[in-house]
Amino acid sequence: MTTLAAPLPVRRAPMTRVLRSELRMVLRRPRTLIGLGLLALVPVVMGIGISIAASDSSSGAEGMAALVVGNGMLLPIFALSIAVVMLLPLTGAMLAADALAGESAHGTLRGLLMAPVGRGRLLAVKAFGVAAVTLLAVVMMAITGIITGVALLGGSGMLTASGTTLSFVDALGRVAVTVVFVAIQVWAVAAIAMAVSAYTEHPLIVVVVTLGVIIVSGVLSSIPALDWLRPVLIVTSWDAISEVIVDPLSWRPLVEGTLRALCYLAIGGSIAFSRMLTRDG
Amino acid sequence: MNRKRTAIAVAAAGTVAGVTGLVLIASPAGANEAPPVLPPISAQALVQSVLDTKVPAMDGAVELQNNIGLPVPGLPQSSGSGEIAHVYSDGQGRGRIALKQGGAERTIVQDGTTTWLWNSADRSVVKYRNGDTAAKQHDQVSDPTTAAQTIVGKIQQDSVITVDGTARVAGRPVYQLVLTPKPTERTLLREVRVSVDADTRLPVRVEVLANGQSEPALEVGFTTFNAGAPDPSLFTFTPPAGAKVTDGTSAVRDEKERTDLFNAVNGKFVGEGWDTVFTGKVPASLLSTQASKDPNRGPVDVTGLLSRLGKPVTGPFGSGYVISTKVGTALITTDGRVAVGAVPQQVLVEALGAK
Repeated sequence: MTTLAAPLPVRRAPMTRVLRSELRMVLRRPRTLIGLGLLALVPVVMGIGISIAASDSSSGAEGMAALVVGNGMLLPIFALSIAVVMLLPLTGAMLAADALAGESAHGTLRGLLMAPVGRGRLLAVKAFGVAAVTLLAVVMMAITGIITGVALLGGSGMLTASGTTLSFVDALGRVAVTVVFVAIQVWAVAAIAMAVSAYTEHPLIVVVVTLGVIIVSGVLSSIPALDWLRPVLIVTSWDAISEVIVDPLSWRPLVEGTLRALCYLAIGGSIAFSRMLTRDG
Repeated sequence: MNRKRTAIAVAAAGTVAGVTGLVLIASPAGANEAPPVLPPISAQALVQSVLDTKVPAMDGAVELQNNIGLPVPGLPQSSGSGEIAHVYSDGQGRGRIALKQGGAERTIVQDGTTTWLWNSADRSVVKYRNGDTAAKQHDQVSDPTTAAQTIVGKIQQDSVITVDGTARVAGRPVYQLVLTPKPTERTLLREVRVSVDADTRLPVRVEVLANGQSEPALEVGFTTFNAGAPDPSLFTFTPPAGAKVTDGTSAVRDEKERTDLFNAVNGKFVGEGWDTVFTGKVPASLLSTQASKDPNRGPVDVTGLLSRLGKPVTGPFGSGYVISTKVGTALITTDGRVAVGAVPQQVLVEALGAK
């Protein structure tokens, strides 16, 4: 009788448009905007605090904190080294929680899963939204850190821990290295959060589990008897940020930390993908 | 169902890849490599070549592993390990050492005419003009052949010195020079193992092994070692703006204070070789509660600290506390006498009696 026509060519929306609309959707959420704003304020508050404390004779600051006084270009690096411990992982976990578990809680994930879109493609778009906004948060912290540092703390270049002074351009390079390193570390945390997010429909569980993983890792790494465990813990990489302010820069700890983060990305990403393949709603 | 199987496969593959990567990062590179084949060499010739060698142009990272069972002040935590220094040398007497101390860094730069000491914790710089102290040291080792004979002869009085095969340290082939105490030596140490780079003849690793331990109690060595001249700008130092610069000559006073303290302690060495014991006397007032120099911390209860670190003992010397680690023992009596050595407790007691 009727012959079946050749299957209709699949018309896909161009990837860039999909990514842009996902990004717009993430950025339209009030909690994302509030979170980004607060993170951008962190270096400003730290800069004001340090400049007040500096005029108040000798403070008992140690390590990087002692070097920031009168050394403005160090402020973005110092702020990021503090934020990577808790604030940025919290942000990554929150974004990942909204990406899958949040959609599921609203019942909107079901529609996306029913749509004729590859599951891998769906996860990739969601992961892109999380990754882009975490990177944005890190870059914003660096920018407000540089502005606050130069304005309040001064200093023409960057005084390194090794006693050398870097030019402004070199100092910007060090800040850029920090931004890339910190962003990859937060992506690793967000990948774990994505895996949890794929399994649940309660966004809060995602945030709680991810912070739990980080806190437990921190506790484990401080127990001397468990030294052998340290190299596999995600938090171990975060100490490497202090290498950025050493001259000459030794790349080994930074590369090692990045590789460790990539391993966590592989684990979290593959678990999230496998769950997305079988998920129904 | 097919999809389910794919899902499990993907999860398994990704997790296995990630975990394997993490384990690979954790395990040191080249741990299971076969030792390199090097031409045989006698112990004395090896010692002589070490004395003969000049530090070549190189740079490398130094790591310390401390397993002695007690935290060493100023060094990373007990049973901790980590990079403690980075060393650069241009092979012509100029060099740079970057030392890590907690969150701060100390940099020592020798630029040919001046030695600079930078401390990032208080942003201070101390500079020393190259005086004749360095020249004097040069004279002593001016004839490496006789020096090697003297040193090897001295060592052989109390120890057996051998070349025990080869190994790799920081990817470089090394000879292993092993000092073993003679059976008559009453020491806690089993052997001291010095790895000598086959090419440059620099000692690149020192391990101290205690009796009954398979792992070194203390290990200092290079983890990376690059031959070749580093960037020459590393061997210059300009004090940064805002740093306190002091001249090294005013720091000589510190050294005098230190010798004064040494005299006050009335220190002397008892015995020789591996069972040398240092004995001395600390003012009894030191053992009572002390006000700490650091205003942020409370007073230090020295006796309380001792009773926590060590265990109380009594003997012909009276009563005191003994602190034992894998590589050494310290005995502190309640009247302020002190004996320290890489020896068991009994030898310390005898040394105190020998006074």
